[in-house]
Amino acid sequence: MWLWNKIKQLAISFRAGVVTLRYPFEPRPAPEGFRGQPVWDHTKCIGCAGCASHCPARTIFLRDICQEVRILLYDSSRCTYCGRCADLCPEKAITMSDKFELATDNRQDITQSLELFMMTCQRCGRCYDLEIKNYIDRLSSLGYRYDSLEARKVIRRSTADFSPEELEKTVTYERPGRLEK
Amino acid sequence: MSRGEELVRWLEKELGGNFISAEATIPGRLFIDLKREALSAAAAGLMNRGARYQVGVGYDARKSGQGFGLVHTFAFDKDSLLVALRTFAPGDDPEFDSLTPLIPGAGWSEREYQDLLGLKFRDHPNPRRLVLSDDWPEGIYPLRREVPHDLMPPAAEEVAFRLDEAPPGTSIVPFGPFHASLHEPAHFSVYVDGEDIKGCEYRGFMTHRGIEKLAQTELTYNDVPFVAERICGICGSVHSVNYAQAVEAAAGLRIPRRAEFIRMVALELERLHSHLLWLGVAGHLIGFDTVFMQAWRIREKIMWLAERLTGNRKTYGMVIIGGVRRDINQDRSEDIRAVLKEVEREMLALEKAILKDRTIHRRTRGVGYLSREEAVKWNLIGPVARARGVDIDARRDHPYAAYDEVQFEVPLADSGDVWGTLVVRVKEVYEAIKIINQCLDKLEKLPKNQPLAVDLEGPIPSGRQGLSLVEAPRGEAVHYVLTGEDNRPERWRVRAPTYPNLQAVPSMLLNNKLADFPIIVGSIDPCISCTDRVLVVERSSGKAKLLSRQELENLSRGKRSKK
Ligand code: SF4
Ligand code: SF4
Repeated sequence: MWLWNKIKQLAISFRAGVVTLRYPFEPRPAPEGFRGQPVWDHTKCIGCAGCASHCPARTIFLRDICQEVRILLYDSSRCTYCGRCADLCPEKAITMSDKFELATDNRQDITQSLELFMMTCQRCGRCYDLEIKNYIDRLSSLGYRYDSLEARKVIRRSTADFSPEELEKTVTYERPGRLEK
Repeated sequence: MSRGEELVRWLEKELGGNFISAEATIPGRLFIDLKREALSAAAAGLMNRGARYQVGVGYDARKSGQGFGLVHTFAFDKDSLLVALRTFAPGDDPEFDSLTPLIPGAGWSEREYQDLLGLKFRDHPNPRRLVLSDDWPEGIYPLRREVPHDLMPPAAEEVAFRLDEAPPGTSIVPFGPFHASLHEPAHFSVYVDGEDIKGCEYRGFMTHRGIEKLAQTELTYNDVPFVAERICGICGSVHSVNYAQAVEAAAGLRIPRRAEFIRMVALELERLHSHLLWLGVAGHLIGFDTVFMQAWRIREKIMWLAERLTGNRKTYGMVIIGGVRRDINQDRSEDIRAVLKEVEREMLALEKAILKDRTIHRRTRGVGYLSREEAVKWNLIGPVARARGVDIDARRDHPYAAYDEVQFEVPLADSGDVWGTLVVRVKEVYEAIKIINQCLDKLEKLPKNQPLAVDLEGPIPSGRQGLSLVEAPRGEAVHYVLTGEDNRPERWRVRAPTYPNLQAVPSMLLNNKLADFPIIVGSIDPCISCTDRVLVVERSSGKAKLLSRQELENLSRGKRSKK
């Protein structure tokens, strides 16, 4: 009985053979849908801080360093790779990559930071993104600043019904200068 | 008349003016408010009616003028009923009757609130520190509202554990705080007479992370599942599902059917890998490394499957309040079926090869024996209880998610020793496979492309209680949530299965051989981290170690001469 059991165990072990992978000498890519290190796309991020306020590890920071520049800093050393940030980003600026070999002796290697150029909303005084590509926003990227109360004649409206022809016109549109006192 | 109504009627009659109110929030839950004078009478009454004690929850309600709250929860397993008795004591006189003389399993809960909240318990038989270390300053109670979550008092130097004297005629063998046969820090000082264990004292809570405090000061409702998942490195989903269920119960939220089945698949996958992991560790502890190697090899398939399904081997990150985050579509469900078939085949082969092996029998039969009565007395749960003939399983007795719609058996053994635990856990592997397959059948029939989570309609009102059970691989885990303001729980209490099971270890050790210490402690699959609610510590393990009598004596003499 004892011997018979040992023979069975031997058979199991032999059939299984060596299962240890040759990793790291052979690469082992992560499967599809793996939650690795999140990666930010700075062209999509609008600096809304949605990711920062929902990160369970509180490892995403947003700070305004001046009126125009907002910094997003992601410190991977505390990240739990839960993917909450990627789920909640309204602009889909975050993707969970398949990167998992993140061990390093330099924290900078795993830190990401974005500099986001923001505009100030003239009505509420808060920042909004400057680089975003909707047509109304481009209007202001062309250099127009509302310098005085009187000049605030253009009230921004929804972009929904803005046609490309009208955009053409805005490019050549001569903006009102400073009003003389 | 249902059990709940009968209890309420009896309590009203028995306690008279000391009874305040009773509320049945959802089927199977009963929340009762009492005056504190009536606490022990009510608890005794529940115990006489066949209740099983679960856990105590203390919280600081001074902000709302109620003083300190104390909740004791009881389960009626035959009637699918959970009862929570809540009492309050004024902030300047936080004294309650101790339930420990009546219910030994309440000892730790009460000591915990003595440490963390500064509550006092009249007639507690062993009112020593449990959670706080011996050098923590007197008078700072970390769970009180005014104490910040990141308070770090300076450590005192050279404070040793205050341990009991060994009983006459015995010597002390220390195991821990770090020991090759323990996977996580814990201190057992074992009293031996020669090779025989005559008693033991336990000090734990060395890796307390203060997760509960964090949840009630820093996190928000939907952050907590991801943190809860990290309470335990083995049964993460158990805690996130459990927490979400408690909040959903408090908020009156009904989650989509699809989400219920997906949660069940995640939970059962976790059970599979946990049982295989334990089988391996148990084999290793008794020096039978074939079991260790082969069980872990089979387990690896499940880990990879989980990685494909959820995006990670562990910490599945599947659960949010109101549902789940990822779907199990047709392709994935076929993937699961294929892997499970493979696992079942391999597991059968392994079982045949090892369960009759003499090594296992000799090292597990009669080891760590505890009678059924003792097991009931200590409120043992999970495979450890089922190995002692106690027929409880939260999946069947208090069905959550959609467990009432699947068929499965609850394996039992009556040998009352480590061997019984082993048999129960091996059998449960097949039951888990059965459950997952049924869940997949149901999932395939449910309409596709439905939302996987429901949204909350407005903020969750504060002051509501939720109580939830999940049968973790090691036994039932209990989560209690009291909703609060600022989008976060006012109190969230986690009771991991090891919490009651570990309290019974000294009785299990009694009169066993010292060499069996690792496997006895290992047999409850202690998750010190869950119990402490602490950092996940890596599993590394050592062999069962035989100390000769001479070595033992040297060891204990060396310790004495230092004093
Ligand atoms: S993956 Fe999770 S922990 Fe990491 S940054 Fe995103 S939200 Fe935070
Ligand atoms: S990454 Fe997304 S969520 Fe985070 S600030 Fe940018 S746009 Fe907002």
